[in-house]
Amino acid sequence: MLLRCLAVIFLCLALPCTALAATEIEISSPGEQTIPLGLTKLLSEQGTRADRIADEFDEVLGADLDLSGLFRFVDPQSFLDDAGRIGLFSNQVNFPQWRLLGAETLIKGTYHLDGDNLVVEGRLFDVVNRRLLTGRRYVGQPKDIRRMAHAFADLVLKALTGEEGPFSSRIAYISNQTGDKELWLMDVDGKRPLRLTNHRSIVLNPDFSPRGKEILFTSYRANNPDLYRKEIYTGKEAKLSYQPGLNVAGRMSPDEREVALTLSKDGNPEIYLISTSGRVRKRITDSWGIDSDPSWSPDGGSIAFVSNRQGNPHVFIADIFTGKTTRLTTRGKYNATPAWSPKGDRITFTRQENGRFDIYTINIDGSDERRLTFGPGNSEHPRWSPDGRFIVFSWDKGGNRAIYVMRADGTGSRRLTSLESDCRHPAWSPRW
Amino acid sequence: MPAVPLHRNNAFHNEPKFGHFLLVSLIVHGLIWIAFTGDWFGARVNPKPPIFVDLIHKPVLNPQAGRPDPRPSKKQQAAPVKKSVATPVAPKAETKPEVKPLAKPAKTAKPKPVPKPVPKPDQRQEKKVQSAIDEIRQRQAREAERDALKDKLAKLRESVGAAATVPADVPVGMPDGTGDEAGVSALAFVQAFIQQNWALSPYLLDRSQIANIEAKAVLAYSSAGTLVRYRIDTPSGDPQFDDSLKKAIIKSQQLPQPLPKDLELVVIFNLKEMAATRR
Repeated sequence: MLLRCLAVIFLCLALPCTALAATEIEISSPGEQTIPLGLTKLLSEQGTRADRIADEFDEVLGADLDLSGLFRFVDPQSFLDDAGRIGLFSNQVNFPQWRLLGAETLIKGTYHLDGDNLVVEGRLFDVVNRRLLTGRRYVGQPKDIRRMAHAFADLVLKALTGEEGPFSSRIAYISNQTGDKELWLMDVDGKRPLRLTNHRSIVLNPDFSPRGKEILFTSYRANNPDLYRKEIYTGKEAKLSYQPGLNVAGRMSPDEREVALTLSKDGNPEIYLISTSGRVRKRITDSWGIDSDPSWSPDGGSIAFVSNRQGNPHVFIADIFTGKTTRLTTRGKYNATPAWSPKGDRITFTRQENGRFDIYTINIDGSDERRLTFGPGNSEHPRWSPDGRFIVFSWDKGGNRAIYVMRADGTGSRRLTSLESDCRHPAWSPRW
Repeated sequence: MPAVPLHRNNAFHNEPKFGHFLLVSLIVHGLIWIAFTGDWFGARVNPKPPIFVDLIHKPVLNPQAGRPDPRPSKKQQAAPVKKSVATPVAPKAETKPEVKPLAKPAKTAKPKPVPKPVPKPDQRQEKKVQSAIDEIRQRQAREAERDALKDKLAKLRESVGAAATVPADVPVGMPDGTGDEAGVSALAFVQAFIQQNWALSPYLLDRSQIANIEAKAVLAYSSAGTLVRYRIDTPSGDPQFDDSLKKAIIKSQQLPQPLPKDLELVVIFNLKEMAATRR
């Protein structure tokens, strides 16, 4: 009996000592929030370095990757001899050298001229695991070097994130460079501008069709704001909607069967759906207020638009099947130009506060509103990139309005167009 | 028939004797006393957390690595003071009663002339001796002062030199520096080292993922600071996140310093801090 009692007591005393905790540590944020990248110069396989080709490729690729915000570039001044060596296979790369420089990823590339053709090869390596992540060979004309660099930047993003980048796409915008407001097209980095219209009037509010073959825009060419469609490759152009009054802000549905736009044929501006031949199919809104700026949800089931039906202009969402309308924004006195993100989770819009427009994003349930720009000047007309990583917008930071691009969190903004002309209403094409 | 004692004949005959009771009582009291005066309860009441992270002053293996000590210990402080007052005749220049008469000749550089009223011969001799002693004292004081200044200057140079060699953005005692001071926590050092090697861009993840993503890895280090084995126990499910962890672990396969003993630890990787800062 006594022994039993003692055993119980000793067991009770011994228990806390035996219950040893496992050694556990928590790391709640990475030490570095960018991926260290060694970006080497494009090397000539023929020994002679055509500086213009290599430099242009390096410049475009570097700018694209920098805009992505994913990388921290290892200082090229610190590169060792492997950076100057042609070797695109894993067993030819001196990975310890790159580890020494702190790189986790490495881009190497070569090029050679084959007659009139330019052949460029690019490789992305994982330095830590010593393996090839992706690589591609591009064949084209020397003048295509920028496109090759953009395409390789897209590929790099796909290899690292699983989703292709938007750098090969294009941006449409309105510019008065020729004296009239015309429709223009440019690369994502603002290069290679190309005028698409010659209406010698006022062109405004362009938007791409979901497959990127056509552009819708409004023009005052016939002294009325009519909606036009234009095929990008053929240049063919046709009026799509020319109802009396406003025919503005045309947006093609994701299945390209309908176009949502604002018509004021009955006096008050309302949102309508028309067919691709221009026939009115459905009236979406019916209120005493002004309803404008429609933007399709990616699933094609809803439309975000602006209405002042409850007093001040706010963003609303309408279900196109049930007709049910819900109010999205509640703050501010002037909210405008909503654009639904390609992933469907957020909507970007502009809000006027203290006499100045800034860009915001918000969840589609009205939560998590974030302000992305903070002046000076007006930031307007925000539109998403096809992958939802970036937002293009116009900004009149003192002087002329220009087109800018920034990351979807508001960081890393950079100007794309010159300040010599007034540029506005950008629209980002789908992947080209 | 002899009288049989009652207790031998009834049920009480099995009851333990008084001695047994006493023995049990003593043992139980003794155990209770041992239990309460021992360390078990103290250790159980205030169990140390598995890891304590001081976000302001992270304890690391080399707390003062590569940096001059911003706060010298009392010992270090005492040393120069001792040196400066080592000479018994070094009065402070500011102390009025002693220094004032001595400081004046130092200012004029020339020793004061002998006082005009000529004293008696023996008194004059005495005065001469006294002034000589005073001069010696002054010289010693000046030398002591110069030595102290030299010491200060040397220390200042040392600190400037040290500051120049250490990168400006490396906090005192972080693993980037060098040094051989015994560390306060090997665990915290390992934590800081792995975190330093972990690179992950928030643009690789969905915004909604950042707050909840988590993975657990088990790492075993030898006392030489070498990663012996590791496994990702609970992956997050996100390929980019898990890949970044593997890279961080591979980059941390050799610690810059040995550890006090073999170490096996469970590392929980998450983005709580990043989620808080990006809110």
